[in-house]
Amino acid sequence: MLDLIISTLTQGFIYAMLSFGIYITYKILDFPDLTVDGSFPLGAAVTAVLLVKGVNPYLTLLAAVAVGAVAGFVTGFIHVRLRVRDLLAGIITMTALFSINLQIAGSNLSVARSVETIFTAAPTMAVLGSLTLIQRKLIVSLIIMIVCKILLDLYFKTKNGFLLKAVGDNNALVTTLAKDMGRMKIIGLSLSNALVALSGSVVCHEQRSFSSMMGTGQMVFGLAAVIIGTTLFKRMSFVKGTTAVIAGSVVYKACIQIAISLGLPANLLKLITAVLFLAILVLGNIEKGSVKKSVRA
Amino acid sequence: MKKIIAILTVALLALSFAGCGKKESKVPVIGISQYGEHASLDNCREGFLEGLKEAGLEENKDFTIDYQNASFDNSTATQIAQNFSSKNVALMCAIATPSATACFAAAEDKDIPVVFNAITDPKEANLTEGNITGVSDKLPVDPQLELIRKIQPDAKTIGIIYTTSEPNSVSAIAEYKEKADKYGFEIVEIGVADQASVTQAADTLINKKVDCITNLTDNNVVGVLSAILEKTNAAKIPVYGSEIEQVKKGCVASAGIDYIELGKMAGKQAAQILKGEKKASDMPYETVTEYSTYVNSDAVAAMGLTVPSDISDKAIECK
Amino acid sequence: MLELKNISKIYNPGSVTEMCLFDDFNFTVNDGDFVSVIGSNGSGKTSMLNIICGSIPINGGEVLINGKCINRKKDFERYANIGRVYQNPAMGSCPNMTILENMSLADNKGKPFGLSFALNKKRFDFYREQLSALGLGLEDKLHVKMGALSGGQRQAVSLLMATLTPIDFLILDEHTAALDPKTAEIIMELTNKIVTEKRLTAIMVTHNLRYAVEYGSRLIMMDKGQIILDKQGEEKKSASIDDILEIFNRISIECGN
Repeated sequence: MLDLIISTLTQGFIYAMLSFGIYITYKILDFPDLTVDGSFPLGAAVTAVLLVKGVNPYLTLLAAVAVGAVAGFVTGFIHVRLRVRDLLAGIITMTALFSINLQIAGSNLSVARSVETIFTAAPTMAVLGSLTLIQRKLIVSLIIMIVCKILLDLYFKTKNGFLLKAVGDNNALVTTLAKDMGRMKIIGLSLSNALVALSGSVVCHEQRSFSSMMGTGQMVFGLAAVIIGTTLFKRMSFVKGTTAVIAGSVVYKACIQIAISLGLPANLLKLITAVLFLAILVLGNIEKGSVKKSVRA
Repeated sequence: MKKIIAILTVALLALSFAGCGKKESKVPVIGISQYGEHASLDNCREGFLEGLKEAGLEENKDFTIDYQNASFDNSTATQIAQNFSSKNVALMCAIATPSATACFAAAEDKDIPVVFNAITDPKEANLTEGNITGVSDKLPVDPQLELIRKIQPDAKTIGIIYTTSEPNSVSAIAEYKEKADKYGFEIVEIGVADQASVTQAADTLINKKVDCITNLTDNNVVGVLSAILEKTNAAKIPVYGSEIEQVKKGCVASAGIDYIELGKMAGKQAAQILKGEKKASDMPYETVTEYSTYVNSDAVAAMGLTVPSDISDKAIECK
Repeated sequence: MLELKNISKIYNPGSVTEMCLFDDFNFTVNDGDFVSVIGSNGSGKTSMLNIICGSIPINGGEVLINGKCINRKKDFERYANIGRVYQNPAMGSCPNMTILENMSLADNKGKPFGLSFALNKKRFDFYREQLSALGLGLEDKLHVKMGALSGGQRQAVSLLMATLTPIDFLILDEHTAALDPKTAEIIMELTNKIVTEKRLTAIMVTHNLRYAVEYGSRLIMMDKGQIILDKQGEEKKSASIDDILEIFNRISIECGN
């Protein structure tokens, strides 16, 4: 039982990084970025190839971040410099990435158990060797995710981070501040997709495989996680956006796990998941209402 | 804030409640993780249950089934596998590659045996080393070519449409090209990137006047089979299927895998493991050696072909 | 000094809706001028501002600042020397950021937006001082989000933000039009105060003839892409609303309004 909670939290943490990415594009930049469905498997493809080639597993994370940033840059370039609509720019990159991912990985690629991953490599074992694999997965994912969160929170406090927020909030202001809004969009998209690819990379370590189809639906997942998270914490301005996103990601994964665990007919899985989401969003809204009332009273 | 904590607590409680509910029974649980609902994959599962039965195991007495399907979503497959793993099921049955990969990963340090099903190349997928076994659904290329030769003695070219990103299809094409010579055929293959271009590829094959078309187990192609058949029927080009479901839809014939039989083989493997006779790690994966021939005589007649009696006698009629 | 030389601007060229707004339009603003621009809708006031700021392309002519042609500069590059307040109070600041954060953004204009921390405690007193000069009590609301403020409060902060760093020109694009009369009055007073204190060169488009007459050192009236009235110095000081209104009515009647 404890295992199930640990596994679910692990999934929530790994996918929280993807949700951070979508938080940046959707919530901050107000940019519906479909690149995600391609950059997520891109991170996994690069990771799988490097792992098979025997590259240090920790380095594969950095490699994924780098290629993810490039993917985001391409979408940004297509949108900003070539003046293609935001949605379409993402679709173009996502489509191209489908082929590129297969070019990188050859085909769907799996990593043998003899290959060391970030969860089994010597440095991890030296610190967490006494734990089971499932526990190690939790701790390592948590650490990577928290590092991302802290760095992001710090970034949002910098001048550049302020400008990024301003692009989504009111891009006319960015222009009157004599700054190129397009450049900031490209930076935001690169940052976002770097995080998405990192998430894909960790999934590849965890699952020991890359599949060309693994990106399908990730954008939708991320959106749901961001919306669930921000709805839950709507009235608590002291809760950082990134914290809310982590909660959203964990709640989403928990919903799916609950739906699986309920043991209802397998084909109802998605329906049950949908009902659980609705329940959570409604609960979140009720809370919003009750706070309003208490303020009035 | 209190409400949030309440929601999270309720969620976790529900999770633990749901998780514990099943644990009470003493009967070993078999977790079946199927990638999605799909005629062939359903047949795998059905056959698996039959295989267990044939090996003398009875449901609810010797085992219980926890069946989940991931609706073709890789991350859901991961969570299903983790669910099985945390419940310490006696055995995981994984149908199709993404589910098998997920189950194998979830069982990595738990030593839960995994029996996979409907995987074309288990070695390529790194699903051979460890506490894992199962059955492969590798296409029977030789019998298929032989069948086509017998039904169409004068045919020279065989058209094949395949998705370039699907590794199973790519390896099948290579095998077809390698073996076509032996039967006096030439393969005309057209690669597509997605399902939308499949019917265009069919037009191209018709234009090239191929003598017939044969299918792989390519999901994109099989998904729009009806549209392809509409075009080929008009052009009087026979299409051969790769398994029973395609013949039922209107392909003329197929020397194909019977996924029920395949499932049975996996079911028997699982029975041996459950009974403690063998360990999955000691059992090599199996490949189908017997293939059945399926014929759709309506489709055959519509094409103006005849099936030689030595085939039709053994063949299974599908309509 | 800002010069518009031989500007031509054609909307939808080559189509049935082709409309030539400016044909050989010339306009010069000298340093220290506070120009009020009036004119009916479609007379080209806002288009002129947009041409100065590079928000819309032109078909011919030159925009010069201190004798240098800036035609090839993109809009965001031109804003290095220009501050702008829009008609919509929401356009001048970020609604989801606090007053403090907005002030910090504006304060950094002209400097690189790098990875150093955006909020500088040493500047907080300066922001408070600036905000208290508005007389709206905003200096106590540093941590309130802009979106929670009223239109007038937002416009006051926008004005402050646009003029926080040294600029050559201040562009006011009907910046009181969306406010109620009383608030509009306050913002207009503030504008005058800031422009006078900081000795800014300003161009203000307005529909309020009284503001145009009462404030500023120069008044121009536009009609169909041309300047039909240009009063400065003593001539401007002696102008009365009635005179201006009469001319305004005359052109409006000609238009058939």
